[in-house]
Amino acid sequence: MPQPPRALTDFVAEATEILETLGRDVLTLDESRSGEVDPDLLNGIFRAAHSLKGLSAMFGLEQLSKLAHRVEDVLDALRLGKVPLDDALIDSLVESLEVLNALLAEAAHETTTPGLASRGEALAERLRVMGEGPVAAAVDVLDHIGLDPQIRAVFTEYEEHRLRENVKKGVQLYKVRAVFSLSDFDQRLNALNATLKPMGEVVSTLPSTQPGDESSIAFDLIFGSAVPATKIESTIAGAATVESLTRALAAPPPSAPAWPTPSAPVPLHPQTSAPQRGVLEQSLRSLSQTVRVDISRLDGLMNIVGELLLIRSNLQRLAETTKQPGVTVMPKAWGNELQREARALERKLDELQKGVLDARMVPLVQVFDKLARLMRRLVRESGKLVDFEVAGGDVELDKLIVEELSDPLMHLLRNALDHGVELPDSREAQGKARKAKIRLNARQQGNQVVIEVGDDGNGMDEARIRQVAIERGLVTAQQTYEMERRDLLNLVFLPGFSTRTDVSELSGRGVGLDVVKTNLARLSGLIDIDSRRRRGTTFVLTLPLTLAIIRALMVEASGRTYAVPLNSVLEIVSVRAADLQTIERREVIEVRDHTLPFIRLSRVFALPEKPMERYFVIIVGLAQQRFGLAVDSLLGQHDIVTKPLSGRLRDIPGISGATELGDRRAVLVLDVGALMEDLLRPQSAVI
Amino acid sequence: MSRFQEQLNRFFYDADEQVGPFLDLAPEIDASNLALPQETPEDFLAFSLEGEIYAVPISQVREILKVPPLTEVPRAAGNILGLMNVRGDMLPVYDLKRRLQLVDVAPVVRSAADVPRGARVVLVHDAQGDAGIFVDQIEGVVKLVLSRLEVAPNLGLERNCIAGLGRKGDALFILIDLGLALA
Repeated sequence: MPQPPRALTDFVAEATEILETLGRDVLTLDESRSGEVDPDLLNGIFRAAHSLKGLSAMFGLEQLSKLAHRVEDVLDALRLGKVPLDDALIDSLVESLEVLNALLAEAAHETTTPGLASRGEALAERLRVMGEGPVAAAVDVLDHIGLDPQIRAVFTEYEEHRLRENVKKGVQLYKVRAVFSLSDFDQRLNALNATLKPMGEVVSTLPSTQPGDESSIAFDLIFGSAVPATKIESTIAGAATVESLTRALAAPPPSAPAWPTPSAPVPLHPQTSAPQRGVLEQSLRSLSQTVRVDISRLDGLMNIVGELLLIRSNLQRLAETTKQPGVTVMPKAWGNELQREARALERKLDELQKGVLDARMVPLVQVFDKLARLMRRLVRESGKLVDFEVAGGDVELDKLIVEELSDPLMHLLRNALDHGVELPDSREAQGKARKAKIRLNARQQGNQVVIEVGDDGNGMDEARIRQVAIERGLVTAQQTYEMERRDLLNLVFLPGFSTRTDVSELSGRGVGLDVVKTNLARLSGLIDIDSRRRRGTTFVLTLPLTLAIIRALMVEASGRTYAVPLNSVLEIVSVRAADLQTIERREVIEVRDHTLPFIRLSRVFALPEKPMERYFVIIVGLAQQRFGLAVDSLLGQHDIVTKPLSGRLRDIPGISGATELGDRRAVLVLDVGALMEDLLRPQSAVI
Repeated sequence: MSRFQEQLNRFFYDADEQVGPFLDLAPEIDASNLALPQETPEDFLAFSLEGEIYAVPISQVREILKVPPLTEVPRAAGNILGLMNVRGDMLPVYDLKRRLQLVDVAPVVRSAADVPRGARVVLVHDAQGDAGIFVDQIEGVVKLVLSRLEVAPNLGLERNCIAGLGRKGDALFILIDLGLALA
């Protein structure tokens, strides 16, 4: 497969980052809509769209650059106050970001998705119509404030707009005149700006029309502020003079709306039709494999490498001393010294390992932002009222895990919205607030990260779960009577389980919670349910901080070595062959009054078996049941680095990867849960 | 070819490379050859399996390795001999003999001790990633002209993964379609 050119990869990485920032900013924009919109935020978004346009045009990605261009135009219009910031606009922006992401994915993989191009075109057209917007109010408030026409002539369109906004707010306009020495005017101007900023808005900075003497330069800052002139003067402490610009009675002009109420709205409402949706049902994983690393972390690594080099030269010197003729080495002293170096080496290697792992960590906010964007759309489409709360985005996880997490989390959130929370009316009838809550939060707990996806909806109905599980033949009625509530709830993780009879638009696409569980298992993570009737459901995901290095138990079966990740092992017992019993000719063992299936690893893997007197049994928990996996011997614990198997071998159930031990032979890493699950499916009769 | 590459090519296009008009002036070139442009032979890596000589395009070969220790992969497809560790990459090693129906039972290879001295693993790469092929002996590199390859006769084999036959003197080289052979 030809590697994409490096420049393209760089572009994709950069564009992805821009899109991420854009997404975040648009959400902030949406939140800040009720109050005053920070012009800096708008400008930031505008600039990001602009650079995206430029970048994609440079790479000849026409569709991408065209759409980015339209987005930029609309944002420019927004920035200049030509179009109002309303739902339709935000929706279009969010949708554009999605399409831009999809287009970028196309570019990255050099593929084309049918329908995407036309969707982009349609969106671009919609944005174009929006961007033109209704023409600004005929009455220009600026005509009323008696601004020196000479000054007004030099204002840019944007500055005029800001000025108009300020006038509309009814604040005073001042001309702040500052005279600075030519030698340090830039610093002092910045300082002045910083002082003024908290009190209002510096609309424009103009070099003064009446310059000072030869060694100094004067500036007129057009400043809008609600603070009286005297107060401003005292704050800036004589750095400049303040003069009121507006007429004495600068009462806010008759509040003619700056834009006519859109009586004939532009055809833009996001009545997203079905075919359009399909395009967006894609993974939330990022396109780029890049991790941004703080330079200080790299510096730290570099330092460690430096110290390692020092140890190497020490070792070299030690080796040399033994080789020199005529020098008798005291074996004991030499050995001690060698040991000291070995210890130093070990310490430094530990630090290096830790440093490299740190560099792989990225904050969860990367995924949370994307999820928030998606949820915003889904909530609007669902007709439910939902407050989406996100917390703990600053928790850091291995980049690999963060990427793999996005799809399971998306699924859980969709479930919460679709199956969890009720419609507003139904909530009111139950005496709950009309607006439901869906929470997504993360926190670190020791070596693990706990992520919770919760809702305050109806909770899970275990009677219904039991009924469905029996209907689908997943369990027998008899079995369910012995189950506790928790076990019943866990049935939803079985493949082929879905309680909703109708296939919903949001979450019922044939994949269920079993996929979420499998994905998590691949990350050595666990999932648990806490559900209370009428109070809501919370899914609790527990994940290791990093995937790169895990602790594993090395076991041997028929002379072959396998690695079993320790986090999947509940306990290890030793049983005598004589204590084995059979039920319907299947072997079982008894562990503390519980009867567990006894499964021989050698037999599962069709390896030649030899009779043993004693077996080591690894107890593995899987949903509501426990199993004993028998191996011939235990070889101890190791820290292992799991390498994924190449494409052709990826889909063997029960094997999650391979690792190398000292002798460089590949050792398979078992995914015991998946192995058991695979064995216990009715169709497989291996045991 | 990506659009990006096209742009690069266009950018680096050099008119001097068009030598067409000058060919007429060159005395050695004989007219019949000009009409049918000479096809450059391609390099193939030849190796033997159970006494027959097979070949794969050298462009698909990454390296030739001594047989490393192999780890069996339980529950994997039957033509996978095992997993090898190549500088930290865990790659599958395939047995072609069973696929080509040269033998009925795949050889058991767990380490170099199980195989004859000449045996090697040829590391190839295709769209699905890298993989090793276990071979009895490396025969060397052979140049074959693509247009002169024969189509393999129908010998009643079920799934044919033979791309064609090449001849060089008396030797017969059986070309393997790797994508099919490793499927």
